[in-house]
Amino acid sequence: MPARRENKLARITSSVMYIGCTAASIVILLLLIWITGYLVSIGTASLNLDFFTQVATGDPEAPGGMKHAIRGTIILLAMASMVGVPLGLLTGIYLSEYAADAGLLNTIVRFTADVLTGLPSIIVGIVGYELIVVPMGGYSGYAGAAALAFIMIPIVARTSEEMLRLVPQSYREGSLGLGATKAQTIFRVVLPAAAGSVVTGIMLAFARVAGETAPLLFTALGSRLLSTDPAKPFPSLTLQIYSYATGPYVKERQMAWAGMLVLIAMLFLLNMLIRYVAHRSVRKFQVS
Amino acid sequence: MAESATNPAGVLTASGGGFAQASPRKRRTAKASVVLFDTALKWVCRGAACTILIMLALPLIVLIRQAWPAIQAYGAGFLVTSTWRANELEQPARDAAGKIIIEGGETVMTVLPAQFGALPVLYGTAVSSAIALLVAVPFGLAAALFIVRIAPKLKIAGPLSFLIEFLAAIPSLAYGIWGLFVLAPLLSTTIGPAMAKVLGNVPGFDWMFYQTIIIGGTATRRPISFTGRDMLCGGLVLGIMILPIITAVSRDVLKNVPRAQIEGSVALGATWWQSSIEMLRFGRAGLFGAVMLGLARAAGETMAITMVIGNNNQIVPSPFAPAQTMASLLANEFAEATTGMHSAALLYVALILLVMSLLFNIVARYFVVGKAVK
Repeated sequence: MPARRENKLARITSSVMYIGCTAASIVILLLLIWITGYLVSIGTASLNLDFFTQVATGDPEAPGGMKHAIRGTIILLAMASMVGVPLGLLTGIYLSEYAADAGLLNTIVRFTADVLTGLPSIIVGIVGYELIVVPMGGYSGYAGAAALAFIMIPIVARTSEEMLRLVPQSYREGSLGLGATKAQTIFRVVLPAAAGSVVTGIMLAFARVAGETAPLLFTALGSRLLSTDPAKPFPSLTLQIYSYATGPYVKERQMAWAGMLVLIAMLFLLNMLIRYVAHRSVRKFQVS
Repeated sequence: MAESATNPAGVLTASGGGFAQASPRKRRTAKASVVLFDTALKWVCRGAACTILIMLALPLIVLIRQAWPAIQAYGAGFLVTSTWRANELEQPARDAAGKIIIEGGETVMTVLPAQFGALPVLYGTAVSSAIALLVAVPFGLAAALFIVRIAPKLKIAGPLSFLIEFLAAIPSLAYGIWGLFVLAPLLSTTIGPAMAKVLGNVPGFDWMFYQTIIIGGTATRRPISFTGRDMLCGGLVLGIMILPIITAVSRDVLKNVPRAQIEGSVALGATWWQSSIEMLRFGRAGLFGAVMLGLARAAGETMAITMVIGNNNQIVPSPFAPAQTMASLLANEFAEATTGMHSAALLYVALILLVMSLLFNIVARYFVVGKAVK
C-alpha cells in the first residue's frame, strides 16, 4: 500500500515539474518578447532618415542623426579586425594543426583563450587606457580598436580552431601523402575546406564586439564629430547610445532608442547569416 | 587529443622529405623556399599562440603596477573597509600627498588609508550577482530541460535554440535601456509600494523598507524611497542578461548525457521528473560550470548595471536601496580620477574584479570542458 501512495506522489510531482518547466520556458519567452518588442517598438517610432544621414548637432531639441557614430563603429570594427582576425586565426591554426608539437602549451593556450573570452570588458578598457591612452597622451580611435581586437582574438582563435577540427583528418593525410608541406596543406587544403565555417567564427566575434561599450569608454571616448582620424577621440554607435540614453533629453533618448534598434537589427541579421553558413559547412563534412 | 597523438603527419612529412631528395636539383631549390615558408608558418602560429598568454599576463601586470600605491597603502584591509570618500582626495593638497606616497613617505600613508575601501562594491557585486543567480538558475535549468526533453517532441527545439543564442548576442546596453525605462519605473511606482503595503507592517521585514542614517551623531530611521534604480533592479536585469548563457550551456551539458542513462531509468519505471533528476545529477559538474559562467558574466557586467543600480557606495541591506558594483564604480569614476590615490584605488578594485572573474572562469571552464564532455 505505501509503495503505491509513493508512486502516486511521484507521478504528481512529475506532472507538476513537467508543467513547471514548460511554464518557466513560456515565462522566459514572454519576458524576452517583452524586452525585444519594447526595444523594437520605441526604436521604430524614433527612427527616421535623418538618423542615417545627419551628424550630431549638440542641440538637445534637434539632435540631428548618428551618421558619425555608425561610420565610427564601422571603422573601429574594421581596424580591430585587421589585428584581431589574423592573430586569432593563426592561433586557431596553431591549436588545430600543430597540436601534436607541444601538448602542454597547446592545452594552456586553449584554456587561456577560453578564460579570456570571459574577461570583464571594462577591464579591457582600463588596460587599454593604461597601455595606450596614457602613453599616447589622449583618447584615440587606435586605443578603442585595440581594446576591441583584444576581445576578438580569443573568440576567433577558439571558434576557428573548432571549425578547422571539423575538416576530416583524411584530407590532411592525402595532402601530406602527396608530398606537400604542412604549410601547403594548411593553406591549400584545410583552410579552403573550412573557409565557410571559419568566416562564421569571425562573424561571431564581430557580433560580440559590435555591441561592446565598456571597452570603449576609456579608450575611444566617443565623439560628436564626423571624425575619421583614429588618433583623436573616436565616435562609436554604442557610446553615443549610452550617453544619449542616460542623458536627460527626450529627443536624444529617442535617438538612442533608434540606435539600439539599428544595432539589434544588425546583430539579428548577422546571427541568421552565421547560423546559415555554419549549418551548411558542418553538413558538408557530415555527408561525406 | 587521442586523434592528434596517433596522427601520422610527422611520418608522412618525413617520407615527403625522402621523396624530395630523389627529385632533380632544380626542384630541390624551389623546395627550399617552401620548406622555409613551412618553418616560418609554424613559428608565426606559435608566436600568435603565445600572444594569447601575453594577453592574460598583461592586464594582471598592468593593474598590479598601476594599483601598487593603493596596494601598499591599504593591503588586504582594503577588502573590509567600507569608507569610500573620493571627493576629498581630488583636492590639490591630497594630490600632492598621493605623490609623496609613491616616493615612500610613510607618515602620509597612515593618514590616507581610511579613505578608500572596497567593501561597499564587493557587497554590491555579491548581492546583485546573488539575486541574478536566484532568478537565472531555476529558470535557466527549467528552460534547458524543456529544450532537451520536451521541445523536440513539439519540433520547436531548433527555433528555441536560435532564439537563446540570439538573446545571448544582444548587447548589454539593450538590457540596460529596458531596465532603465521599463523595469525601474515599474519597481518604483508599482512593485515597491505594493510590497511595502503587504510586508511593511509584518515584523521581520522592516529592514527591506527602512534605512538607518546617521545625521550629526544620532541615528535616524527613515523609510526608503522607491527610486527604481536600486539593488533589486540591478540584480533582476543581471539575472535576465545571464539567463541565455546559463540556458545555452546547460542545454549543451544535458544534451551530452548518454541516452542510455535516461532510457534505463525510464525502463525501470521512473517518472519524467525522476529521470530528469537523474539527468541533472549526471551532468551536475557541467551544470555547475554553467552557473559559474553565468556568475562570472554577472559579476563583470558593466553597462546595464551602471544604468540601473543607482550608483551609491553604501551597504544597506534593503533591496530597494541604490548600490554600486565593482564594474559600475569603475565605469562611473575611472574617467574622472586620472591621478593620485583615487585612480590607484580604482585600479585596485579593477585588479580584484579581474582576479575574481579569472577564478570564476577557470573553475567554470574546468567543469564545463573537463568534466561534462565525456
